Amino acid sequence: MDRMKYAIECRGVRAGYGRQMILEDVNLAIPEGDLLAILGPNGAGKSTFFKVLTGLHPLQAGEISLFGHPLNRLSSAERARLIAVVPQEVETPVAFSVAEIVLMGRTAILPRWTQPSAHDFQVVDRALVYTDVAGIKDRPFSDLSGGEKQRTIIAMALAQEPRLILMDEATSHLDINHRFEVMQIVERLNQESGVTVVMISHDLGLAADFCRRLVLFDHGRIAADGVPAAVLTDELLKSVYHCPIHVRQDSQTGTLNIQPARRPNTSRAGRGIRVHVVAGGGAGEELMRHLALAGYSFSAGVLNRGDSDTQIAETLGAELACEKPFSPIGPEAIQKALTLAQAAQVVVLTDVPFGPGNLPNLDILEDALRRGHPVLALAGIESRDYSPGRTASRRLEDLVKQGALICPTIADLIAHLPAASPSEKDNP
Amino acid sequence: MSTPRFKSWCFWGLVAGTLPILVVCLLLGASGAGLPDLQTPAGMAILKLRLGRVLAGFIVGAGLAGSGVVLQALLRNPLAEPYVLGVSSGAGLGAALAILTGLGAAIGVLALPLFAFVMACVTLTLVYFLACRGADEPSVYGLILSGVIVSSICSSLLMFMISIAPLEGLHSILWWMLGNLQASSNNQLMIAGLLTTLSFFAVWSLAPQLNALTLGTEMAHHLGVRTQRIVRIGLVLATLMTASCVALSGLIGFVGLIVPHAMRSLMGPDHRRLLPAAALGGGLFLVICDAAARTILAPVEIPVGVITALLGGPFFLFILRRKRGPGWIG
Repeated sequence: MDRMKYAIECRGVRAGYGRQMILEDVNLAIPEGDLLAILGPNGAGKSTFFKVLTGLHPLQAGEISLFGHPLNRLSSAERARLIAVVPQEVETPVAFSVAEIVLMGRTAILPRWTQPSAHDFQVVDRALVYTDVAGIKDRPFSDLSGGEKQRTIIAMALAQEPRLILMDEATSHLDINHRFEVMQIVERLNQESGVTVVMISHDLGLAADFCRRLVLFDHGRIAADGVPAAVLTDELLKSVYHCPIHVRQDSQTGTLNIQPARRPNTSRAGRGIRVHVVAGGGAGEELMRHLALAGYSFSAGVLNRGDSDTQIAETLGAELACEKPFSPIGPEAIQKALTLAQAAQVVVLTDVPFGPGNLPNLDILEDALRRGHPVLALAGIESRDYSPGRTASRRLEDLVKQGALICPTIADLIAHLPAASPSEKDNP
Repeated sequence: MSTPRFKSWCFWGLVAGTLPILVVCLLLGASGAGLPDLQTPAGMAILKLRLGRVLAGFIVGAGLAGSGVVLQALLRNPLAEPYVLGVSSGAGLGAALAILTGLGAAIGVLALPLFAFVMACVTLTLVYFLACRGADEPSVYGLILSGVIVSSICSSLLMFMISIAPLEGLHSILWWMLGNLQASSNNQLMIAGLLTTLSFFAVWSLAPQLNALTLGTEMAHHLGVRTQRIVRIGLVLATLMTASCVALSGLIGFVGLIVPHAMRSLMGPDHRRLLPAAALGGGLFLVICDAAARTILAPVEIPVGVITALLGGPFFLFILRRKRGPGWIG
């Protein structure tokens, strides 16, 4: 009886095409009511796993049970009453209306000779309302937008009254808003009706947002299985996706941000030029990203540890001068920053707010000007100056008199940075 | 235009209109409009003759349109019809064999439909396995491509047989190739009617599965359809319908293509309603065409295939032009 608690139980599942094995020894138990995502690079066996689960592709070894029933003993109609599938995209050359498409969810149940029963229509109507397509139920399916189509297909899956829904990259063609909307429908379904949902997704962040459990596939095996924080780690993702990936927690929403690390493009204008960035409080994020894209190498500081700018700079491989979290800049940190800035050809000031704690950062700019290095600053310091007696604004005014350049936008600032060209190589 | 209410109106209008239209066509003939004098044996004979033709026209039109609907759904292709898959040409070749070898006369009335069906099945099997190319299921493009090829081979064989046929056989085979609704015997009419009716109801019972198959075989599989089985059954039933029609009336084109499209754009693509609508519409279409063939140049009779093509061609263009209608899209 214990088995009945599982929606899917796979033991030693092997499957492939010809001699090429795609799935090798997959063991997975998914309890009923779970909301779970299967992740992994292209070719890891995710889609084949779904095909095996739905009986589209034969097993070469192992066994699969769905809700305690061995898969190979289920008839097509019985299987359709347990599992519904929402694929990436459904197209039909025939102009079925939305309501007609949703009614197709009941293909395995519809009576052969008579009209669909009142119950059938009731289920369809409920599915239409649930996914918010009731208002367009008479429109031809092929005329709908991507989001509407996908909601219609989910309604069709609901009309199947399944206990398990498999979503095969069901949101990957949708824009960010519709993607979220579709996921919310699925989440609500999972919470309210206890339908088990298993989704394949390439959007690691979205999967981490909505799922309690992630399963990472790699080369036909399960490489990791657990809560998002345990599966989405830099090391695991790097070994599976074969490229450096950084996982950060977003400071505002607490969601996980997963991004491949930018590889510096050596052919860009910034090649061989080093910039020192004075930032803090998230003000440097965009500028640093642009610098890295343009191929500049850069150092940053003084920054407080734990600041989002610090995380970004670390991710992008910058050398840092750091101070303890929430502490004013001390002599040791400023000395390190001065050393870093001296190794750079340019010093850049982002739109960081100033208070008594980070005023010493302006020393870095003064030092650079004294040594004849260009200094660029983003405009608008007046509005973010919280230093006593507006010291920061007044000091920056002085710096401008000494040759510092104020730039209105980041793009403007990047344009004023020195570029690598033969004539400038001798004169840094 | 395409509200569910409008579609319903169209459908029930067609159902209600069928019988009156058939009666009107029964009253038209080469001997003039109106009921012939039933007191005379000649009048009775004329009525019987017209009744046979109206029945044959209805059966053949319904069968061709029905199998067109089925093939279009199974192949997810608006151009699919009995001719495209080579089914008609195969059946035609079989019928020509029966006529020319004299086997038809030797075996009896069943020989023509039997030969037509056997040859249609042979061509369909050939087309099916050519299209499979080692895979379990044939691809749609494979089916259409091999259908066109096999169909043209059958046509060449037919041409070859015509070229070596004796003169007396030539006329009957030519007349038959142009399409002719004058059944040679009541038995033949009954057999074709029975086979077409049975296959039609069998196919109608698959309507929900046909609907699901238009979403593609994988999606249909997820909806609980045993796709391979349904595709095979559907192909065989469509072949049976086509073969019995071809054996009865010869090669009448366009019905299997136009009628399904027209019905779909009027009543929507749901096969539970589309199949009976296409059968009624196809039947009426051919009966009307035949009435026109008998009366326009009376007493000279135009081959009905000429009329269907002359009416059907422009009508098909009209349908293609208003592409955004609720028929096929893209």
